Amino acid sequence: MDLRAGDSWGIIACLCTVLWHLPAVPALNRTGDPGPGPSIQKTYDLTRYLEHQLRTLAGTYLNYLGPPFNEPDFNPPRLGAETLPRATVNLEVWRSLNDKLRLTQNYEAYSHLLCHLRGLNRQAAAAELRRSLAHFCTSLQGLLGSIAGVMAALGYPLPQPLPGAEPAWAPGPAHSDFLQKMDDFWLLKELQTWLWRSAKDFNRLKKKMQPPAAAVTLHLEAHGF
Amino acid sequence: MDAASCLRRRSPRVAGESVKMTSNFRWFLPTFTLLCLLSRVSGQRKGAPRDLKCTTNNLRAWDCSWKAPSGAGRSALYEVCIENRSPPCYRSGKTNTKIPTLLPGDHEITINPLHDSGSSLSRFTLNEKDVSFIPDPPEILDLSADFPASTLHLKWTDRGSVFPHHSRVIWEIKVLRKDSMEVVKVVTHNTTLNGVDTVHHWSWASDMPLECATHSVGLRCYVDDPHFSGRKEWSDWSPLKNVSWSTDSPGKVFPQDKVILVGSDITFCCVTQEKVSSAQIGYAKCPLIHLDGENVAIRIHNISVSEDSGTNVVFTTKENIYGTVIFAGYPPDIPQKLNCETVDLRGIICTWDPGRPTALVGPRNTSYTLSESFSGKYVKFKRAEALINESYQLLFQILPDQELYNFTLTAHNPLGQSQARILVNVTERVYPRTPSSIKVKDINATAVTLSWHLPGNFAKIKLLCQVEINKMNSVQELRNVTIAGADGSRYLAAVGRLHPYTVYTFRVRCATEPFWKWSRWSDEKQYLTTEAIPSKGPDTWREWRSDGKNLIIYWKPLPVSEANGKILFYNVSCSSDEKTQSFSEIPDPQHKAEMQLDKNDYIISVVAKNSAGASPPSKIASMEIPNDDLRTEQAVGTGRGILLTWGHDPNATCDYVVKWCNASQAEPCLMDWRKVPANSTEAVIESDQFRPGVRYHFFLYGCRNQGYQLLRSVIGYIEELAPIVAPNFTVEDTSADSILVKWEDIPVEELRGFLRGYLFYFEKGERDTSKMRGLESGRPDVKVKNITDTSQKTLRIADLQGRTSYHLVLRAYTSGGLGPGKSMFVVTKENSVGLIIAILIPVAVAVLVGVVTSILCYRKREWIKETFYPDIPNPENCKALQFQKGICEGNSGLKTLEMNPCTPNNVEVLETRTAVPKIEDTEIVSPVAERPEESSPEADPESQVVVSYCPPVVEEEVPNPGADEGGGASQVIYIDVQSMYQPQARPEEELETDPAAGAGAAAGYKPQMHLPVTPAAEDAAAEDGADKSAGYRPQASVRAWNLASPDSPRSTDSNSEAVSFGSPCSINSRQFLIPPKDEDSPKSGGGGWSFTNFFQNKPND
Repeated sequence: MDLRAGDSWGIIACLCTVLWHLPAVPALNRTGDPGPGPSIQKTYDLTRYLEHQLRTLAGTYLNYLGPPFNEPDFNPPRLGAETLPRATVNLEVWRSLNDKLRLTQNYEAYSHLLCHLRGLNRQAAAAELRRSLAHFCTSLQGLLGSIAGVMAALGYPLPQPLPGAEPAWAPGPAHSDFLQKMDDFWLLKELQTWLWRSAKDFNRLKKKMQPPAAAVTLHLEAHGF
Repeated sequence: MDAASCLRRRSPRVAGESVKMTSNFRWFLPTFTLLCLLSRVSGQRKGAPRDLKCTTNNLRAWDCSWKAPSGAGRSALYEVCIENRSPPCYRSGKTNTKIPTLLPGDHEITINPLHDSGSSLSRFTLNEKDVSFIPDPPEILDLSADFPASTLHLKWTDRGSVFPHHSRVIWEIKVLRKDSMEVVKVVTHNTTLNGVDTVHHWSWASDMPLECATHSVGLRCYVDDPHFSGRKEWSDWSPLKNVSWSTDSPGKVFPQDKVILVGSDITFCCVTQEKVSSAQIGYAKCPLIHLDGENVAIRIHNISVSEDSGTNVVFTTKENIYGTVIFAGYPPDIPQKLNCETVDLRGIICTWDPGRPTALVGPRNTSYTLSESFSGKYVKFKRAEALINESYQLLFQILPDQELYNFTLTAHNPLGQSQARILVNVTERVYPRTPSSIKVKDINATAVTLSWHLPGNFAKIKLLCQVEINKMNSVQELRNVTIAGADGSRYLAAVGRLHPYTVYTFRVRCATEPFWKWSRWSDEKQYLTTEAIPSKGPDTWREWRSDGKNLIIYWKPLPVSEANGKILFYNVSCSSDEKTQSFSEIPDPQHKAEMQLDKNDYIISVVAKNSAGASPPSKIASMEIPNDDLRTEQAVGTGRGILLTWGHDPNATCDYVVKWCNASQAEPCLMDWRKVPANSTEAVIESDQFRPGVRYHFFLYGCRNQGYQLLRSVIGYIEELAPIVAPNFTVEDTSADSILVKWEDIPVEELRGFLRGYLFYFEKGERDTSKMRGLESGRPDVKVKNITDTSQKTLRIADLQGRTSYHLVLRAYTSGGLGPGKSMFVVTKENSVGLIIAILIPVAVAVLVGVVTSILCYRKREWIKETFYPDIPNPENCKALQFQKGICEGNSGLKTLEMNPCTPNNVEVLETRTAVPKIEDTEIVSPVAERPEESSPEADPESQVVVSYCPPVVEEEVPNPGADEGGGASQVIYIDVQSMYQPQARPEEELETDPAAGAGAAAGYKPQMHLPVTPAAEDAAAEDGADKSAGYRPQASVRAWNLASPDSPRSTDSNSEAVSFGSPCSINSRQFLIPPKDEDSPKSGGGGWSFTNFFQNKPND
């Protein structure tokens, strides 16, 4: 999870790209109708940027949780994290998803994850960590907006918020500190997996939405002659 | 029987009514005695009950038992009779019976087995001491577990009502753990029986979480009745009570989320159905302690402080990970530096330092409660995050009519609490806020009103404020003001004693009375006070023009402290008895005015005006009273100023005036003036304008009624410096032995001090010699004259040598040092007599020497002829003849004729020499290549006759003793006469051959013409080698060589070979082979030298 020195340029480049493109995201700027292609690309870029950001954040947060959570081979069972949306899915099932379902699942997952992440922020005792988490929450909120923008551009309705999903997150009274840490661990892990999956999802959507290159070439050639 | 039944029947009553029993005792005792006697008699006759033992569990009744007589049937009935007791006898179908407690002392007891004819009566003596007191096992009312606290709570009753007396009870409690009932704790607990049933509690905190294993508790007691004299024993253990924890969760680790003190020991356990493989706390692995089933525990000693999120304890099974978080920290430290003060008397702010960090954050962080004991109010402080570099503080609202506050600050966290206290009188702890909104208003030119805002309710107290007054270039001033406090209003203070028209900077701070702390200084407020009339007239002086008709009036600008505003203009007026003349409104930058006055007894008045008004006039008389006996004196200052002194003048009516000017400046002479009080007799005149090395003229004026009189005139320097120029001097007259020098004065500006004299240096020397520079350095040959008479302007230097160049230097000096020198070279005139003598004497000596030589030559002419020009030439004298050539040729000439006598020998001509080779041919012959054949004449001396000339160079360069001495006899050496006259080619060939033979021996010879056959590299090498090996250097290229004739000066000079022409002679015949005339002719030998040649060559030497 450690951020390598070489990645910093990538992050800066990604950040610049995202900031540059943000005003054009349909969710934020609905004045024009550029079609879903560019907004999918921007959502994809944002996903990749969040992946980088999460890598740093998770390193810091797992160190805060202490050993064994910050040990590289720590892989606990998914005990109390059943409420978290699972990103892992059968490959065949994933392939068979249609665009609407794919986007809906992404949207729902990040809605849930964002809700949990805000709870994480409330718990953290270290001020610096809270700032990092708040920053990441903002970024994740942006991703959610981007996905909503793509769905709107494609004419899909936004999924209705599930009852109890959005309200303030509160740990159960029986939740011990250790189980809470396990949940935090799984939240970060699931978030990472979702970002990977989303990158694939948007890449797939992006390819699908691109106009056929051959047709464009032919069209240009016809004009040329 | 009746009696017995009666006893049995009454026995319950006996137990309860002992008083009645004693009343029946009188008739009961004889009967009982009788029965006992009967029983003893029968018992002795057959088997009888034995081993009577009695115990008690409540000290109220004794349980007595005995062993049945042998052969007694099951249905035996015993009658137990106690002597002197009522009822005396009890019947029992068993071998025990309860009897009431007996009094201390021996009691006789008979046990009579009834219906058993064979058995006899037994008689025992029973004493309380023989009775054992064994209480019944206590009964545990309840055993409960506080699992989060790992504490067992035990509850039981002491059944105190059973026991007749108040007694001390010792309870022994044992705690057992696990199924194997390991005793983990045995503890005694003391109580007192007080006649009623009392429930007792005992709690025990387990070192292991109670969830980890089953815990059982047992209890027994020991009643220490002081009235009972028998043996007291522990009761039996009560039945064990168990506590265990059950859950349906697959596994759990205990304790959960516990906060403990750093350094404690703690046990963690994992309650699970799975096999635990490992356990770790933080990064450290721990050994497992196995409990019941698959449950395991780990024990941590001296736990270290936790991180913010706590320390994780993890148990790992094959499938799962179970864990808990422990928070090891410290209880709160006692709050340090608790301080309570108020800024506005509306709220009290208490601040403190939390002291040592607790290492607990979030919900476990320390909470603080500030409570006030008089009012019973409190405020709480709770922050989840530990503050860093931020003070902890709480605000407590001030209560009306309460001044004294007794605060207790309680710090609390899960590990404990601590307290700090402070008692404050709030009116004595006021730290006012910073005054704000400073405003200044004029009162007059020297006073202002300062106002500021200070928030707070100070209505009941006084404020002490401090005003800081800062003036440019002045010391700051603090003034204290006491003001009655108010509730949040503005405060005013008058600030007087200010200067008019001055920029002041004010700032304010306040405290309360009694003083506690100053507030911070307010922001600065700058203010310019208004103008006032100038306090004084300007300092005035006047100067008459040299024509005596015009008077110039000077005045100095008023200093800021006296101007009291911006001076706009000056009014000047001159008044006499008859008329008044005035100038008005002379604008400020002008500080002088000139008036034409017809007479000189005016009073001049100068007034400065600003916007507030005019200054008092300053007056000065125009008249200058003449002083006849005035002379100019000299004075030198101290470097910064100059001291002037004068005698006291009783007639002085006002201040003395000292004016001064630069002495070199034109009239009117006035740089500045200074007034000195009339009673002074000296003044040190200092001015920033004074410069060292500048001559100033000082005038001291005394003040009289009519005017001023010049008392002293002084010229001086504040510091003398050395002159910067040399005196300009000229030589007026020069003779053969003296020089008259005249010089001019140095201008005052360049003299830079009072002239003290001149230094005149002179010595022999010419202009170009470098030693002139050091003329003044005190060398002995430099003569110095010190001219201290500064009026002297000429100097005659005598006793000089004629026709000699002298170097003269003149320098002026002052007390400040020696100025630069001007130097001059003078040649004294020639002494003609000496010159004539100097010419005549050498001529006379030369003539005399010539005459003597001629005479000697004449007288010795025969000897000379024999020696130098014999008639028959002696070959040995060749050397003598050759001597002169040798001078030119070097040693080679001598060696040429230093031949051993040649012995005639056979002459065998083996080879006829070819004609003289052409120069062109030589070019392709490498002398080096030919050397082996030609350079070894002695290699085969008998088979060859070397036809050669006799080059002395060769012999020198190739020393060959054999050839010189022994071998010489077999050689005939011809001097090839012809070759001597080959002007160019022949020497060329020789150069090629013979020198080549000698080259191997590093001879000094080298061919003049370099052959361009060898490659360039070789050339260079050869040339280099040759250059090193000999003093000889090739003269020129081939062309140059060709052009140069052998007798040319150059050739002669450089070519040793060319001068080897002596008078060639045959060794055999010892005759010259050339005519004598040729020999005498220097031209015949190309290399011969002549007198003219000598002189021509001389420059080259």
